[in-house]
Amino acid sequence: MPELEPGKLDVSLSLYELQKKIYPRAVTGWFATWRWTLVWFTQLLFYGLCWLPWNGRQAVLFDLAERKFYIFGLIFWPQDVFFLALLLIISAYSLFLFTALGGRLFCGYACPQTVYTEIFLWIEEKIEGSRAARMKLDQQPFSTRKLVLKTAKHGVWIAVAMWTGFTFVGYFTPIKSLAQSVLSLSLGPWETFWILFYGLATYGNAGYLREQVCKYMCPYARFQSVMFDPDTLVVTYDAERGEPRGSRSRQSDYRAQGKGACVDCGICVQVCPTGIDIRDGLQYECIGCSACIDACDQVMDKMEYPRGLIRYSTEQAIRQHWGRKEILAHLLRPRTVIYGAILALIIGATAYGIAARLPLKVDVIRDRNSLSREVEGGLIENLFRLQIMNVSEIPQRYVVGVTGLDGIDIAAERVVEIPAVSARTVLMPVRVPPEAGKKGSHRIYFDVKALGDAKIAVHEKASFLMP
Amino acid sequence: MQRFMWVLWPSFVVAGIAEAVFFTLIDPQELYFFGEPVEFSRMATYSIGFFCFWAICAASSAFTCFIQRGAEEVNRCVIASTCKDRISDS
Repeated sequence: MPELEPGKLDVSLSLYELQKKIYPRAVTGWFATWRWTLVWFTQLLFYGLCWLPWNGRQAVLFDLAERKFYIFGLIFWPQDVFFLALLLIISAYSLFLFTALGGRLFCGYACPQTVYTEIFLWIEEKIEGSRAARMKLDQQPFSTRKLVLKTAKHGVWIAVAMWTGFTFVGYFTPIKSLAQSVLSLSLGPWETFWILFYGLATYGNAGYLREQVCKYMCPYARFQSVMFDPDTLVVTYDAERGEPRGSRSRQSDYRAQGKGACVDCGICVQVCPTGIDIRDGLQYECIGCSACIDACDQVMDKMEYPRGLIRYSTEQAIRQHWGRKEILAHLLRPRTVIYGAILALIIGATAYGIAARLPLKVDVIRDRNSLSREVEGGLIENLFRLQIMNVSEIPQRYVVGVTGLDGIDIAAERVVEIPAVSARTVLMPVRVPPEAGKKGSHRIYFDVKALGDAKIAVHEKASFLMP
Repeated sequence: MQRFMWVLWPSFVVAGIAEAVFFTLIDPQELYFFGEPVEFSRMATYSIGFFCFWAICAASSAFTCFIQRGAEEVNRCVIASTCKDRISDS
């Protein structure tokens, strides 16, 4: 890369290396429509879902202060961390599968970095104008018009960014009370901090860093090649058809002039959000957004050439001149079948695990202060703490029983009442006659059963110490 | 700027992971600080915890950056500084 002198060229805020600011040209077409559909879908979901009520609470809330995650009818406790691990594995395998099939589909359509950059670019375009107008405006000396336009743009950007920060925090703190605190200016210091932090990150990432996040900061961009193979669908320039590129008049017969279909208009480079030239082949910077496909198709239409000089294709398909049928036939191959099978298996297991989850959890902890002691009547007593968690959204009454040694019994109230979605720690003194066992540790079992529903029962082991 | 990003960005990511794992397994209200139970709200503990993780990870990244320089680079610095001394002496 040639060295650029700061000051002479318009250099964007660059974190990793000096680079020319990229002014992506707006694009319309089939892929752009899909990208915008995904922007709408993901953002309606993100900005809207946190306001949805469910059972008198927020439907989706990762309540950090209470250490409970609510997702519609499901409630996850820290003890359910296993499901979080499964969720991460599912995400990873989905990414592997989609990447193997269609390249960086996630990057191009669903990644928040792409989505917010798209939104921020749209705002920029509406306020400052087209690509050419923006470049001109940036080169102009300071003027009132420039000040007004720049202030307006940053104003709208900051408003969107702050709303995004507020929404984000609203997934971790109940959003209605958060909104009330904002309106009454009584927001807690940490909520304020995180709203500003996330808002600022959105503003910086979508407004300034943009493609630099993908090029220098994203780990996925670096290891994507591991998941690619010659049958992976990627944005490809058909060099055989396009080269040698060159300008020509629309009427002329370019084949007779020894030219390829590429008119070298450079629009594919202008629309590229990462500023690469797809005609140089697949590069790690390509986020698979397909803006260049839409742009090139429009040029091809104008020239009355067939579309698809830049298209979704595979390395093999380009080499062997395959059509759509052969490409689709190669979607099924060992790699995708294995990824798909593993993914289906884990999703199935997770769904089963969640469905079969009991709405009751019990942790038995021996009292650390006293090992065992003799009480009235010569009985031997061990103290246990039972943490009983009612994971359901209705209050429950449970009966606690103990087995494992002759004459074993609990010297306390055995029925425990626990409100909805809460936990209680109860002290359970367990007593046995001294002849029940030899000196040492004995396996005993606590049985916690819901009154009225025999299916909700937990059988938990513990050890009883005889002196 | 480049070095700042080299240090701050990876440490931010790793701190995020460390934070999630640590506080999933450990309730902040069960923590002790110099023998005293932590009395901050959970939100405060999470936030402070995150910045501690970030700082620790950043220190590690910074150290990596520091020792990553090749012999040539280190020597060049030494030569440059001695040259500068000579120039200022004369």
